Amino acid sequence: MVDVITVLLLSILAGLLGSLVGLGGSLVTTPALVALGVPVKYAIAAGMVTIIATSSGSASSYVREKIVNVKAAMFLEMFTIVGAIVGASVTSIVPAKFLYFFFAAFLLTSFVGIGRRGRGEVPQAVNQDGLARWLQLEGSYHDKSLGKDVNYKLTRPALGGAGMFVAGIAAGMLGIGAGAFKVSVHELILKMPSKVSTTTSSFIIGMTALAGASVYIFSGLLYLDLAAPMMIGTTLGAFLGGRSLNRIRSSTLHRLFLVVVLLVMVEMLYKGVTA
Amino acid sequence: MRVRGRDLETIISYILTIGVLVSLAVEGVGLGYYYATTESLQVDFTSRWQTRGNDFFAYAWGTLLSLGEGATPLSLIALGIVLLMVTPYVRVLASVVYFTVERNPKYALISLFVLAVLTISLKAH
Repeated sequence: MVDVITVLLLSILAGLLGSLVGLGGSLVTTPALVALGVPVKYAIAAGMVTIIATSSGSASSYVREKIVNVKAAMFLEMFTIVGAIVGASVTSIVPAKFLYFFFAAFLLTSFVGIGRRGRGEVPQAVNQDGLARWLQLEGSYHDKSLGKDVNYKLTRPALGGAGMFVAGIAAGMLGIGAGAFKVSVHELILKMPSKVSTTTSSFIIGMTALAGASVYIFSGLLYLDLAAPMMIGTTLGAFLGGRSLNRIRSSTLHRLFLVVVLLVMVEMLYKGVTA
Repeated sequence: MRVRGRDLETIISYILTIGVLVSLAVEGVGLGYYYATTESLQVDFTSRWQTRGNDFFAYAWGTLLSLGEGATPLSLIALGIVLLMVTPYVRVLASVVYFTVERNPKYALISLFVLAVLTISLKAH
């Protein structure tokens, strides 16, 4: 079994690696702990608590800079928290074997982020539907790289809500943020500009994680001696990763991303088969 | 959107920053204290580290009461988790108050729905 220092160091490394390749929260920490022999459900429960810290911490500055669309976030949270509660309740009762396979399968959604990376343009001429207008789903933010204020409108909130419900189920079940999936819903359905979608996604993840954690905290799966070092380590690692991001070439990051996702997938599949 | 010269984004940003920093600091102190007073640092999954009960608010109150009797590594680490979980909760609570004061009934109701679902889930598990 592991000790506190190992969990701390491993979480720092996993948080660092995760934030470098754009896989936030516990998507790397949880499989890393499982590799050390931590039962998968305990790692998932601790991961759910951990991402309250990593996502809330990273979202706070984007909220202040008004890049996050708080209204859209509040609307979408109605769906994603209900999904997270359902997902976390499912994990409490299903066999662990099933979770390994689902984790490996869900990693595929993180590949969606690769095609998206570096685009950054704003969708033009979005025709808002009636509900989007009623919900006043629009906004503006100052884009530093473009050097100007960007105005945008969102559409199809009902379909977006359904997508966020599914994202919530996956997040709650696996103790992760499901960020790549959420960002896809924001951009493909709601037509969010990519800077707004990534930052609004981390903002929402904090709430999804609380909803999931509300189930885990009394399901008998949350152990404080695992959650505490995991939370400190992952947050510290993510912070260090964020600071060194600009110093590493993006082609190196791209390769690193592929290696990390493949390793984690193979590990989870292996665990699923041998469990 | 402004209430008394502050906008919702600034208020939320303060809540998130303070909540995360304070809870991480408390967890850090708790772990340091544990490290200083314990011989074995094994993550052993014994029941004393398991969160118990079925009501988060009662658990939070119980944690505060046990701290009143003297801080232990366990009570500090539990307090850190409680503070972390309270952070997004307070963020929704602030949104409900904000949209109510701003007379925006749509978003007051939307944030109230989120608050209600979270409250039920935190109280009834």
